[in-house]
Amino acid sequence: MALILSVLEQGFIYTILALGVYITYKILDFPDLTVDSSFPLGAAVCAVMIKAGINPYLTLPAAFAAGGIAGLATGMIHVKFKVRDLLSGIITMTMLYSVNLHIAGGQANMPIFSSENIFTLSPFADKLGEYNKVLVIFIIMLICKFLMDLYLKTKSGYLLRAVGDNDTVVTVLAKDKGIVKITGLVIANALVALAGCVMCQDQRFFEISMGTGTIVIGLASVIIGTNVFGKLSFIKTTTSVIIGSVIYKACVAVAIWLGLAAIDMKLITGALFLVILVISNFRKAGAENDQA
Amino acid sequence: MKKLLSLMLASAMALSMLTGCGGKAGEADGETDMQVSENVKIGIAQFAPHGSLDNCVEGFKQGLAEAGYVEGKNLEIDFQNAQADMANTNQIAQSMVAENVDLICAVATPMAQAAFNAAEGKIPVIYTAVTDPVAAELANEDGSGTGNATGTSDKLAVEAQLEMIRAFQPDAKKIGILYTTSEANSVSAIEEYKSLAGGYGFEIVDSGISQPADIPMAAADLAAKVDCISNLTDNTVVSSLPVLLDAANKANIPVYGSEIEQVKNGCVATEGLDYIALGKQTGAMAARVLQGEDAKTIPYETISEYSLYINSAALQTLGMNCPDDLKDKATEAE
Repeated sequence: MALILSVLEQGFIYTILALGVYITYKILDFPDLTVDSSFPLGAAVCAVMIKAGINPYLTLPAAFAAGGIAGLATGMIHVKFKVRDLLSGIITMTMLYSVNLHIAGGQANMPIFSSENIFTLSPFADKLGEYNKVLVIFIIMLICKFLMDLYLKTKSGYLLRAVGDNDTVVTVLAKDKGIVKITGLVIANALVALAGCVMCQDQRFFEISMGTGTIVIGLASVIIGTNVFGKLSFIKTTTSVIIGSVIYKACVAVAIWLGLAAIDMKLITGALFLVILVISNFRKAGAENDQA
Repeated sequence: MKKLLSLMLASAMALSMLTGCGGKAGEADGETDMQVSENVKIGIAQFAPHGSLDNCVEGFKQGLAEAGYVEGKNLEIDFQNAQADMANTNQIAQSMVAENVDLICAVATPMAQAAFNAAEGKIPVIYTAVTDPVAAELANEDGSGTGNATGTSDKLAVEAQLEMIRAFQPDAKKIGILYTTSEANSVSAIEEYKSLAGGYGFEIVDSGISQPADIPMAAADLAAKVDCISNLTDNTVVSSLPVLLDAANKANIPVYGSEIEQVKNGCVATEGLDYIALGKQTGAMAARVLQGEDAKTIPYETISEYSLYINSAALQTLGMNCPDDLKDKATEAE
């Protein structure tokens, strides 16, 4: 039971991040590496605010805003300075590393064990015991999902989807596709930093290296979710991202539980990733043949 | 799936019964006089693959064995390595808690924090290779635990190291230190070096890097500016030790290590740590907790003795000698 709870906790936290990665990778077709640094950015903002005695719930909007700024930076570099998408993400990611260290006052590791956090202050803390954490995370995740569903239905949301699919449509509509891209990056990184903020309070410490490889987890979640469950018409894409994230974390948990050699972990993660991509490519090819 | 699960459970139970019998046989040999009542299962979670940390784990097992907990007899170990990946540290810690092990041994600061958080006081956490347990909020100022945790610190003997460098190089003025900005332990060690260096007539020149790729340039630059280099227990720098040694050799200056392993690999000397000994000390503490002591009330320990290790070959290459008054104390690292 405890293992399932931990998979759900981790899965839901990374869902928030995966929703952001979904916007950049799937909707905008923008490989955004800012994620590896905007995740710890949210955590750094969170740890510093909590240390300063500020209400932990306020760290959520603050981290969201900080992540938005990081996304804005990547967007501006890409759109205004005409730097390639991959490179603009790398540039922001690299610079953010120093920024994160500065935010944390030069400390690479900042524990917040002795402070209150969103979980200890939760209204269900006494009643639900071990289920408290997963419920709080679930609620935050669900709010993000619904707000995103709503946003994608607005005019701005439609434009966002249009840029990824066929950007000439946007130009034809006399809209600036650069602004649309920047908007997408801002929302995406805001979500990623929010995930970092929740993660920091879940593990109760900030660590500068906690962002390394985050983009891989985000991509894996999105790909598992959208490729395996995205085809089902009764499931919203955002819902499939949630499922993908939980499945990914469950796979890692099973790998650990089975006692697979630690040195093989990355190999297995990569292989799992590849298998899903290959299967979904075959499926796609099959579907195209059927149509023909 | 259900069948598979039950099969696995059954075989796990069969295995533990077998090892149980083995345990009794071991006691009959009269090797141990300790009261080791039943079989225990512990988790060992290591943050990254790394020579010093591997030694910690090795020593930890030895320490437990000396106290009567022998792996394969009455002790079952679930060993996991997080590969320096923070997402893994949390999942490993949580999976050990879910397994309901009797104790978690966590190696290095991020792993210790993740285990401490996941255990929520229900399972004792014994940490090792945590430089500053107070700064990591694992221990209070008086050494007692902030929760159900205790362990050992691998704090460097900075003062002893400075004294040793002064003895080896009476005329040296500047000590160079290379460190990684993301390693909390290194940042705090640099502070200590800076505050103590003046007392020995040294000036500290530090150079911060953020990834292994930065080391060749930073090392060459640093070696040109200083009279010697002293290492911390910085994981990134230690992993790239040959690059640093190379740069120092070109500039004809010595590199002092922070633990025995580095001296074996080419540093001239260290007044430092033996991670196997540190692990052993930690293992002994873990045994006390397994026998029922409350981890929270056991103050964290630092290594009880530092020793001087030298590498004569490396000294010779640089035309240096071990000072006469240190010769009796020094052990050749090999």
